[in-house]
Amino acid sequence: MKYKIKKILISLLICIILSPLLPTFAANEELALQAVFLGRFAKFIDWPNNDKDKFVITLIDENPFGKLLDELYKDKTIHDKSIEIHYVTRIDDIKDTDILFITLDNKSEMQKVIKYAQKQSILTISEHRGFAQRGGIIQLNFVMQKTQLKINYDSAVKSNIKISAPLLAIAQHVIKGEVQ
Amino acid sequence: MKFNRTLFITIIVSLFIPITSSKAVFADDKTEVEQAGELYEKSLSELLDVETELKAEVGSRSGDRDLLASDVPIDVVTAEQMRQTGFTELSKILQRFIPGFNFPRPSITDGTDHVRPFTLRGMNPDQVLVLINGKRLHQSSLMNINGTIGRGTSGVDLNTIPIASIERVEVLRDGAAAQYGSDAIAGVINIILKGFGHKNEITATYGETKEGDGEVKQTDLFYSMPLNYDGFINISAEYRDRGETNRAGVDSRDQYPSGDPRNDYDAPLNHHYGDADTQDGLLSINSEVITENGVTFYLHALYDNRDSEAGAFFRRPVDNRNNTNIYPDGFLPMIVADIEDYSFSTGSKGILSNNIKWDLSYTYGYNEYEFGVENSHNDSLGDDSPTSFDSGETRYKQQIVNLDLAKKIKNWDIAGGLEFRNENYQIHQGEEASYILGDVSNNAGAQGFPGFQPNNEVDESRDNIAAYVDTKYHLSNDVDIGLAARYEDYSDFGSTFDGKLSLSYRPVSTLMLRTSASSGFRAPSLSQSYYTATTTGLSGDTLYQTGTFSVNEPVAIALGAVDLEPEESTHFTAGFVYQPASELSFSMDYFYTEIDDRIMLTGNIKETISPEVKAILNANGVGSARYFTNAISTKTEGIDLRLNYKYQFSNKSIIKTGMSYHYNHTDVTGVNTAPSILGANGQSLLVNEVTITTLEDGQPKENIKIYTQYLYKNYTVVVNVNKFGSYKSVFGTTSYDFDSKWTTDLDLSYQLNDKFNIAVGAQNIFNEYPDKWGETSSSIVGHDKILQYSQYSPFGYNGAFYYFRVGLAF
Repeated sequence: MKYKIKKILISLLICIILSPLLPTFAANEELALQAVFLGRFAKFIDWPNNDKDKFVITLIDENPFGKLLDELYKDKTIHDKSIEIHYVTRIDDIKDTDILFITLDNKSEMQKVIKYAQKQSILTISEHRGFAQRGGIIQLNFVMQKTQLKINYDSAVKSNIKISAPLLAIAQHVIKGEVQ
Repeated sequence: MKFNRTLFITIIVSLFIPITSSKAVFADDKTEVEQAGELYEKSLSELLDVETELKAEVGSRSGDRDLLASDVPIDVVTAEQMRQTGFTELSKILQRFIPGFNFPRPSITDGTDHVRPFTLRGMNPDQVLVLINGKRLHQSSLMNINGTIGRGTSGVDLNTIPIASIERVEVLRDGAAAQYGSDAIAGVINIILKGFGHKNEITATYGETKEGDGEVKQTDLFYSMPLNYDGFINISAEYRDRGETNRAGVDSRDQYPSGDPRNDYDAPLNHHYGDADTQDGLLSINSEVITENGVTFYLHALYDNRDSEAGAFFRRPVDNRNNTNIYPDGFLPMIVADIEDYSFSTGSKGILSNNIKWDLSYTYGYNEYEFGVENSHNDSLGDDSPTSFDSGETRYKQQIVNLDLAKKIKNWDIAGGLEFRNENYQIHQGEEASYILGDVSNNAGAQGFPGFQPNNEVDESRDNIAAYVDTKYHLSNDVDIGLAARYEDYSDFGSTFDGKLSLSYRPVSTLMLRTSASSGFRAPSLSQSYYTATTTGLSGDTLYQTGTFSVNEPVAIALGAVDLEPEESTHFTAGFVYQPASELSFSMDYFYTEIDDRIMLTGNIKETISPEVKAILNANGVGSARYFTNAISTKTEGIDLRLNYKYQFSNKSIIKTGMSYHYNHTDVTGVNTAPSILGANGQSLLVNEVTITTLEDGQPKENIKIYTQYLYKNYTVVVNVNKFGSYKSVFGTTSYDFDSKWTTDLDLSYQLNDKFNIAVGAQNIFNEYPDKWGETSSSIVGHDKILQYSQYSPFGYNGAFYYFRVGLAF
């Protein structure tokens, strides 16, 4: 047995020593998917005020992404516009933005932000359960290691935001024609 | 195992050298960006198909986190994996996936046939804490009293939980009493029930063994009702009917008195040795009601009613315990169990304006085990004896009130809480005929399982309060330090204080080193403190009692019994996770656990030990006695290896494989001093060679598990290969070796459309059996005798099992 364990350990050591030769990887797919979805959703959205130079994504409250959003979007464009990432913690700090990713836990604060975003025609996205029903537009959830989308179409209409059919088609649940 | 710990530590340390030197080359953010960049090129529907990392909550109070980023070793079994085993019992499923999870299938062991105990990493059934959605699940009221793995313990019955209700099972492979309290010595199993976002489904399974017995008919339903703000009410119901299996050999002994010509007939198959005939009705509810202000009210509840029947030893016609007027050809007493088990946790949780998370809950758990005997008699009552009996019941109840608070302050995740727990244990007598000694013979009570007597009745309670803190400090992006402490005060034995320190360090994004050290304890269970079961005998004109006595009974006290103290443990783990690609991960963890004052049942203390003992026994009207005591110390160490790999072929088919290896070794390192009244035999009464062999070698030291899933279009193939290591069993005073065995399970499923799924499969497809006993002097146990297989066999002795499954999602 002792011999067997030693063999395992030695094999392992060889693997580890050789490991720098392999591409490194951080396997936080959930976080990466959230970061990616922010930009990918935008391609299926029409905003009423489309005459800005920049496309702005704002994250309010805690930033789980670190520098990921900045790095991912620094060379990318959305609707032929370069992308700026803003990080804010208060509703008053939200400037002219197209997408607002909300990580706020406090529900009354979240409700205020949603209300503000609807008035400003901002696409709101969050992974908080109940977000869509509270008036948020796109809710991202992860269930059994897969992404689930819930879209509040009514809220999008109220925000003067148009969501194209392909995005609506892949959502697990679309809130449409319901009183809010 | 005598492997060189120094070598292990040397290698762990050496890992830093080549890898830290490459740190500058492989910056964390760069890899995350590359990963996200690749995902960015996928279509929306492809993104929705991306499988994210497994997460687990157990072992941390700061929410779920990436399994591979955990500072303590955790395994997770998903609902999909569970379904594709074809098993309908959770214990069997976990045995297929969790290395070091042992689930033998004892038979002819009274109540244990119907609630079979499981163990983790070679330790005892009661040294594992089980949680449902993070809340403590109660243990069974059954005291395993026969010679099974886990003798002298009461464990949790995992088979009371409907499989359809489970989203995943998390298994923490580390001591965690400093976080969760008593019992978390070998590890913690946290069962997460399906919550928000699950599909409704109905599944039905039918199968039987290659021998044509053990027919399983099972159907379950999962139904989810959505509520406001993504709240839900989920209901799962299951009916499971498992027929008996029988692998007993024929009885070649003379059945009738000498000279009876019927003794020349073919040897009869008169015993039952295999799975009990069991029917379970199970129900589960999991619900969250979320209010507009975000406060969540929750409830989860489990219910199981089990009727089960299994044989005792056959009483031959010639047996002096048989009454030929009632059973001219002998009889097989059938022990029947009617078990009711339920629990619920209800509470509310939310976030205060200052971002403090709070969770206030109440948990109730109840187990009732009714013993009955059928096809039997009380020999001492003669021809008038009834043939079926109510032999009494045991009950266990626990209530817990818990308050958890948590807040993140800069780099600190700080959690703490208070807990109050009340437990109650009861034994209720059986009907008089089940235990009484009549005047026809000296064989008192129902044959097979004599009932609990009035003097065995127990109704005992205890309380404990606990206060705990559980913090994690993020020293940098690469270093986390965890610190936990827990104080408990029990109304029976006093207080405990335990701590845990954990450290994880990620020198590069592909590698995480982790280590932890902690102390822990296991409170003596109420069943160990108060279990009493005796039978009545007659010597001359004097009635006497023999059996198990609680430590507070006069005869036990006179024989040296004292109040039980908690088992105390110390733990150390060290290991690493290496993930060179999102599709490939490898982990290795070493563990070391010392347990002092392990609670054991003494051997039978008889008159022959000494004149002093004889005087005590006679004065108390007792023939022989045994009781629970803090008896021994043990050391368990071992190693866990995991390798997970996923690959997508160019034709879009996917292969996922998980390979794992577990090794553990237990040594009895000390025996406590026996009470002086027991004299020179005291030490051997506390622990004898049978006990030592069972503790050190009765469970497989080694497991290998290779899980492979291949998905192509609508087809899924799952192959599960298991190696069950060798073990030893003792018969009489002789130890027998049983070789390791490999088993292979196969599951083929086809998705007909969005709703329907069909599957066929086989467990142990190559019909592997454990080794039989060697030659013995016994006429009952041994190669080609009545009982040919050891009840310690980790995968039973049923052979192959074939099944068919249909599923409907809606």
